[in-house]
Order: sequence, then structure tokens, then C-alpha cells
Amino acid sequence: MGNNEHIVKSFDSELQRLHGEIQRMGEIAISQLDASVDVLQRRDSDAARRVVANDDAIDALEHEVSNDVLRLLALRQPMARDLREVYAALRISSDIERIGDYAANVAKRSMVLNQGAPVSLAHGLPILAKLANSLVKESLTAYANRDADAAKAVRDRDAELDMQYTALFRELLTYMAEDPKQITPCTHLLFMAKNIERIGDHATNIAENTWFLVHGETLTEGREKRDLTSQ
Amino acid sequence: MTEITLSRKPSTAQADASALQAKAKLTARNLNFYYGDFKAINDVNFDVAEKCVTSLIGPSGCGKSTLLRIFNRIYSIYPGMRAEGQATLDGENVLDPKYSLNKLRSKIGMVFQKPVPFPMTIFNNISYGIGHYESLSKADMNNRVEEALRQAALWDEVKDKLGQSALGLSGGQQQRLCIARAVALKPEVILFDEPTSALDPIATGKIEQLFAELKQHFTILIVTHNMQQAARCSDFTAFMYLGELVEFGVTETMFTKPTKQQTEDYITGRFG
Amino acid sequence: MATKAENLYFRRSVMNAFAMLLSLSAAVIGLFFLGWILWTTFSKGLPALSWSLFTTTTAPPGEPGGLANALVGSLVLCLSAVLWATPVGIAAGTYLAEYANHTKRGEVIRFVNDILLSAPSIVLGLFIYTIIVRPMESFSAYAGVIALGFIVLPVVVRTTDEMLRLVPTQMREAALSLGVPQWKVTTNVLYRAARSGITTGVLLGLARISGETAPLIFTNTNNQYWSFSPNSPMANLPMTIYEYSKSPFEDWQQLAWAGALLITLFVLLVSVTARIILLRNRVQND
Repeated sequence: MGNNEHIVKSFDSELQRLHGEIQRMGEIAISQLDASVDVLQRRDSDAARRVVANDDAIDALEHEVSNDVLRLLALRQPMARDLREVYAALRISSDIERIGDYAANVAKRSMVLNQGAPVSLAHGLPILAKLANSLVKESLTAYANRDADAAKAVRDRDAELDMQYTALFRELLTYMAEDPKQITPCTHLLFMAKNIERIGDHATNIAENTWFLVHGETLTEGREKRDLTSQ
Repeated sequence: MTEITLSRKPSTAQADASALQAKAKLTARNLNFYYGDFKAINDVNFDVAEKCVTSLIGPSGCGKSTLLRIFNRIYSIYPGMRAEGQATLDGENVLDPKYSLNKLRSKIGMVFQKPVPFPMTIFNNISYGIGHYESLSKADMNNRVEEALRQAALWDEVKDKLGQSALGLSGGQQQRLCIARAVALKPEVILFDEPTSALDPIATGKIEQLFAELKQHFTILIVTHNMQQAARCSDFTAFMYLGELVEFGVTETMFTKPTKQQTEDYITGRFG
Repeated sequence: MATKAENLYFRRSVMNAFAMLLSLSAAVIGLFFLGWILWTTFSKGLPALSWSLFTTTTAPPGEPGGLANALVGSLVLCLSAVLWATPVGIAAGTYLAEYANHTKRGEVIRFVNDILLSAPSIVLGLFIYTIIVRPMESFSAYAGVIALGFIVLPVVVRTTDEMLRLVPTQMREAALSLGVPQWKVTTNVLYRAARSGITTGVLLGLARISGETAPLIFTNTNNQYWSFSPNSPMANLPMTIYEYSKSPFEDWQQLAWAGALLITLFVLLVSVTARIILLRNRVQND
């Protein structure tokens, strides 16, 4: 019985459709992230506007995924691996949608930033963003390949992102304390940095869901949280 | 960076709305059915869409099998059973005594709950029905039998043993043979009365896959007591209770947001 | 409480043992006498068997004789009886199962058939005597065949009726749904399905009449010669045995034993065949 296809082939095609939707969401999200890094580095407000507009595409896809998951659960009664696939698809699509939202938020704030003079500390952001982007790419690749070990690796790297965020946070605070005229732009930078850190967290969620999908258990070892800004 | 355009297939809700416009192959209008004095079917009205799978679900004794068997008038061999109202195929009332039984049964085929192959060879099981309507040359008959067996996804398993008795096949194969037998007559509609309730899950799966293939050529009406099967296989679902048609609609809607409380209670297993 | 249950159990096992004992004794008694009869038949009949039995006709006492004409005559009578009773029986059984099932008329016919089934064969003989032999003013093989047929007839009716009713309704419906008319469904599909059962019924009827004497006494009587005209009596084995065993002649008595053994063997053969047919069908059916 080594056939990996379901006997009823329409079940397979519906699952394929679901995976395709998530893959597409992932592709759009990644290009959004790359675009917003671009926007930060080049201070291009038109590009930023496009990023904000394209967020609708991700939202619409997330809506589709929700509908398809509901349909699959009602009509197909998926079991075992199929059930975990559908469940993971629902969670992951929600994470990707949030990632898209955060990317759009970063683009929006950069439009505001661009109206003022360039801030020297703004250079810290693209580095943070590139790191977050690579986390997202790796987690989505791990999901696409159903590679639980690669997913675990992503989870471990989130600690690095948190550390960099904490460092940037402290730097910005110091900067604001030294020069009150920089408070407004720095506050925007703070929010943007926080959004990027959240992107990293959602990438980790995707990785954890991928692990659950493959093994059927949650990753029990505690997630390292190096975001010490609240301490 | 360019605009990202969204180009996906329309969501299922929209697709189904257009399916509802499909032509009605079978209809029931003010249909009543009596076993002697007992009224088993009460004023049923619904349409069966062409080249779609429609399923009838409901608790035991709700009349779903009775309703199915009205359409090919198989009840007529039993005394004391009668139907009133209209049951039409392509607009013609099949309950009219003037509608030839022979013609009706060549257009509407039926597959039963218990696989009942005739006590003949596999080949003869299929050619028996065909031979009654048409006299074909040997080569033509061979082709027809092969075509029917292919449509029932049974050809590969029996092509080397067409001369053997059909009783030697497994349960699932026998049921597919019965399907091939019905399909061989090239009907327009096929009625299935709980076709997989006597089969194991794998045989059931194969027959459910068969429905998806058969509906490209035939209109299919299934009675099933397994509502998950109705959810998996059918395009439209009708829920019956105590002889009445409680709700009828697109399967996805029926199983995600039914309109009647009774339907919801049955589907969620809250039935008293 | 526990001992009450134990008491009950003990009483029940005692009753069980007692009932077991009774039924075993009944079986033993029955088997004992059956064994005795068979033993006697074999021990007396076996020495009397010889090839001349099958080649010589019956002869007056003292002359070397055989049972050839009686054997052939019996065969002819029995087969003819089966030949006319089988189609009539199958037709009647079909009517009962297909058209009159669950009706008052059907129940009445079944009841009458069961009476006929258990009617004493001598009564049947007398009946045929009255309505055929008397008007014809002679004993004949015709009358014998008709009388014997009436013994086979209810067996075939009953078996056909039961076997057809055993065929699942869904097979009927499946055949009818193909648009095939009722009569064709019956002949092509249902008969084929009930084939082995009906054959068994016919064989059992045959086994039964092969030893019947009483009906033949009143209809066919016997014939010493090699004559097979249906209008006059035909030689047959049961009556030959009857006459020979009553006689004081040693050689005739021997022939009678041989004849009894032959009939026993014939019935055994037919019964075993019937069983084989039934078993083969059952094995095939799953």
C-alpha cells in the first residue's frame, strides 16, 4: 500500500490547492519584506505606497485559506497527518498574514520617516530587517519541504534576532536621551524595529507549526526569548 | 516593484451558486408514497441536477430509500405500494402508466446495497442486460463489456478472468461489477441505494472515487446512511426526516451552515 | 448469594447431563436398528449378487433367473415419473415463490402441497386405481408412472419454492432494473441461482420413489417378461422383491435380498450425489 495518494483523488487536489495558496502567500510576503528593506535603504516613498497596497493580496489569500480549511474539515474529515496539515495550514496562513501586515506597517512608517531628515541610526534597521527576512524565508522553506529539523534551526536563530533588537532598542533610547529633537523619528524607528522583531516571532511560529505538522507533538524545549527590553 | 495581482479560482461559494443553475434531470413534484395505508413519503419536491452527484441522507425509516426507488418504479412488483404525484425524467412523468417500464429502466439504472452479481460468468453478467436491448456482433459486445468494466474501474482486475464465475470476486469487486452492469446499458441516470454500506473502507474509497469519474457522464443519486460519505462525494445533499424533505442544498452549505435546526441537529449528532 | 448461584448451576448441569443422556440413547437406538437393517441387507444380499442378475430376466422358480427386466423396468418407471413431475413441480414452485408469495392463495397451495407430501403412498395408489385403472380396465405402466409422479411432485414443488425464495430479493430487483421482463428474470437468473437446490430436490424425489411398492400394487402390478409397452404392466424391482420374498422358493428369496441390496445402493448413490451438488454450490457461493 505504498501509494501516497488518496484513493479519492479530489481530496488530493483540494490539499494541493491549499498548499498552493500558502506558498503564494509566502512568496508575496517575502517579496513584501524585501521591498520594505529596499524602501528603508533607498527612502523611496512610492515603493512604500505599493507595499501597503499589495498587503490586500495577502489578506485575500488568507481569507481563501480559511474558507478552504473550513470546507476541508467539514467535507473530508481529515485524519492523522491530513488533519495536522490542515490545522497547520490554518495557523501558518494566519502567521503569514501578520507578517505581511507588519511589513506594510514598516513601509507606512518609513513614508513618515522620509518626510524628515535622514536619521543616522536608521542604518540599524535594514540589518535587522534582513535578518528577519532570512528567518521568514527559512521557515517557509522548511514548511514547503516539511523539514522539521530546518524548522527547529529557525527557532533557535530567533534568539539572535531578539538580541539585535534589544541592542538597537538601547541605542535608540540613548540617542533620544542625548538629543530630544530626535525623539519623533526615533520613536518611529522604535516601532518599526518592534514590528520587525514581531516578524521574527511569527516566523518562529511557522517553524513550530511545521515541527508539529511533521511530528505531531509541540517542541517542548522552551523558546529562548532574548528580548530583554521589558526588563 | 510591480503590483501583485490576485488570480485564483473563485471561492467555492461562488462556484456553487452557478452549479445551482444546472439543468434539472430528475424532479419530484408533490410526491407521495404509500405502503398500503401507511404514508411513507409526504409531499416531496426537489430537483436532481444533471451530471452532478446528489445524496439523500436521514435517519433510518425517513423514506430516503423509498424515494429513490420511486424513480425507476421498482416498487411496482410489490402489491400494495403506490405513488402519487409527479416524478419526471427530462420533463416526462415516469409515474404515468403510459411511460414504458422498459424505456424507463434503460434510462435509469440502479445499484443496490448488497452486491448481487448474477450466477454467471463475469462477461455474461454484463452482456446479459445489453443483449436484452440490442443484438450485437461478438466484437461489438466485447467492446461494450470492456468499456463498461473500464468505466467501473474493474477492467484491469478482471480482464484475464472474464470467463470465470462472478461469485468468485471479492465484495468490493462484485459491487463494481454491479456498477459496470448498470453502466453497460448507457443510462442517463444511475440510482445508488447505500452502495458501500456492505463494504470495507478501501473498497468504499474506490467506489467514492468512481462517483467522481462517473458523474462526468451520468446523473447520480445516492442514498446513504453515512453522512460523511455524502459530505465527501456529493455536490448536493437532501436531508429527509419522517417522509418529508426537510432541507435541500449545496453540500458545502448543508454541512457548514444548514438553515433548518433539524438538519443541524442530525448532522451534529444531536438527534433525539 | 454465591452458593445460590452455584446451586442453580449445579441443578442445570444435572439436567443438561440427563437430557444429553436421553438424546444420546435415542440416537443410539435409532442407529442400532438402522445398522442392523443395513447389516442384514448387506450380508444376505451380497452373496446373491452376480453378473447374471443384470443379464437374465426373471424366471420361474428352479430355472436360473435374474432381475434384468425388473431393473430396467424400474429405471424406466422412475425416470418417466420424474420426467413428468419435474416440469410441473418446477412450474408450480415458481408460481408459489414468484407470483403467489405472501398471498392467501399461496399459503393454501403450500399447505395442500405439504399434505400431498406426507400422504401415504398406498392412498395415492388407490386414487390412481380409481381414476385411471378402472376406466381403462387394465393395469398399466401409464398408471404406475402417474402414481409415482405424484409422489415426486410435492417434493419438487416444495424444493423449488424454498430455493427460489432463498434467492435474495435484490437479485430479482437488480435484474428487473436492467429492464428485463419478469419471465426472463425467472428463467435466466433465478433458475440459475436456485439450480443446485432444485436438482437436489429432484434427486431426492427419485431416491424416494425407487423403493415404493404400494402405489405400484394398485396401478402397475408386475410383469415376468421383457415387455416395455406402456399400456400393460411393466416389470419392476419393488414388486418383484415383494413377490419373491413371500414365496417359499430359496432361489427367489435370494434374488429378493439381492434386489433389496441394489435398491439400497441406488438410494445411497443418489443421496450422495445430491449432497455433493449442494456442497459444491455452497462452497462456490462465498
